[in-house]
Amino acid sequence: MTRSKSWIAAGSFAVCLLIPLVVRTDYNLQVLFRVFLFAALGLAWNLVGGYAGQLSLGHAAYFGAGAYAMALLPHFGVSLWLAPVLGIILAVAFAALIGGVSFRLRGPYFALATIAFAEVLRLLAKNLPSVTGGDVGIQVPSLFAHAINRSFYLAAVVLTAIAFGVTVWVSRSKFGYYLMAIREDEDTALSVGINTARTKLEALFLSAGITAMGGALYGSLFLFIVPDQVLSLDISNEIAIVAMLGGAGTALGPILGSIVLESASETFKNVFHEAHLLIYGLLLVVVVIFLPEGIVGTVNTWLARRRSALAAAPKQRAQRNSAS
Amino acid sequence: MALLELRRTSKKFGGLVAVNGVSLAIERGEVAFLVGPNGAGKTTLFNLIAGMLHPDQGEIFFEGRDISRARADRATKLGIGRTFQLVKPLRNLTVLENVMLGAFLHTSSTSAAAREAGRILEFLQMEDVAHLPALGMPQAKLKRLEIARALATRPRLILLDEVVAGLSTSEALALADLLARLREWGISAIGGVEHVMQVVMRIADRVLVLDHGTLIAEGTPEEVVQMPSVIEAYLGPKYKEFTQ
Repeated sequence: MTRSKSWIAAGSFAVCLLIPLVVRTDYNLQVLFRVFLFAALGLAWNLVGGYAGQLSLGHAAYFGAGAYAMALLPHFGVSLWLAPVLGIILAVAFAALIGGVSFRLRGPYFALATIAFAEVLRLLAKNLPSVTGGDVGIQVPSLFAHAINRSFYLAAVVLTAIAFGVTVWVSRSKFGYYLMAIREDEDTALSVGINTARTKLEALFLSAGITAMGGALYGSLFLFIVPDQVLSLDISNEIAIVAMLGGAGTALGPILGSIVLESASETFKNVFHEAHLLIYGLLLVVVVIFLPEGIVGTVNTWLARRRSALAAAPKQRAQRNSAS
Repeated sequence: MALLELRRTSKKFGGLVAVNGVSLAIERGEVAFLVGPNGAGKTTLFNLIAGMLHPDQGEIFFEGRDISRARADRATKLGIGRTFQLVKPLRNLTVLENVMLGAFLHTSSTSAAAREAGRILEFLQMEDVAHLPALGMPQAKLKRLEIARALATRPRLILLDEVVAGLSTSEALALADLLARLREWGISAIGGVEHVMQVVMRIADRVLVLDHGTLIAEGTPEEVVQMPSVIEAYLGPKYKEFTQ
């Protein structure tokens, strides 16, 4: 990223931090919280699913780890701000287990394995009521005591900025090139000396850590969690869809994807009431058919084509002139 | 001590013996070519040396170290580079970025990797396409890209599987002239070819002939093309009499 682009990015996040000066209603702040929360989650997913090309459909495991750590640990005398940190560590431990097993599989089998692990965790949480409260759910302490909605919104913006910074760093570094090599062809990656198993795990650790922080924020804002919510397939899918809609393997994609998807789903809820899931599903079908590379991916391809057409045009003119 | 040594190495796939008790040694600075008809076991042998496969029997030593069980990335780190028979460029990356992936083995700096990759592309006369995506490159360039990426890992031994397959004769000979210069860099090579003997004659110190997974002959290129067993493997027993 060039210096001017870095300034634009920093400026954009600064503007986002100022939004609560204008937007004051709790409802609007909660919608915006969700937009940034899923932007951060999409960016985290993107490290594994986009750059490394490993289609994880079980990120709810890490999200839930963060949410349940936030709920449970303060009961054992852990301070409010240490709980999410331990949640991150718990999620990384889950990632070591899930990745260690699932990364032996390629393609759809890997995706299925990640779903299976997340489902196992959901069923465990449902069936261990003495620990997790089971289906009844469990209360989560709030990280903020004052201006709650505004504070959570700001926390989500900061998390997104961190996730974006990590993504830009990764995409410029040797680590990022290694991830892309794994995505493009694992045999070639091995042939240039990449320890593919370890590299994929490192990406998953980063991804799981950010995702767990998002889960902790989510649980802490809504004060109450149940397994069917924070460990659900819906959460896993939404995280992956946000990134793919915006453009997997791009730094801006997941942010754009979250803005589009979350605002669309919120609008549909208000406009179409009971039918909103139907409309939401149709939107996804349209996107998959017409924008298979996501919004940013499609625009990039279009720009590249335009640039090469522009570069070729003077040459053609020169050829025409010399011919005549 | 030989750079690479195989001792009675065998690999089976189900009932098929792809490599059958092959023993061979490659010296430092030597360019050897493995020739043999389609299905002779050349690619399997390369995969065994590069750590993509592990032998069922026998051992493989590189610089005196047993690498029979070493993974592919470990083999690369020890100094064995390889190209693939079916070219495997990372299609969404540029040519330069493809080569940088190899250079990253010795540096973590993106700019240092780019400089190193640029140097190697210059050696292979590809600097004009450095910033184009690998996607859509012609076959001749992709073959060179494979070699460039392997060279960027700074190997002491490079495995060139079917390195001239699919190239025209002039393209193949031009590439052979470049490969002949690997000796200057102190890199040993094992090439694998099915039938482009012109390339072999031009640059090989030694030729090893593989047939049905077994090493049936070895010698200088001039010696090998005269051997009745080699002619039989390629053309069938009927043609053996012509050499006598």
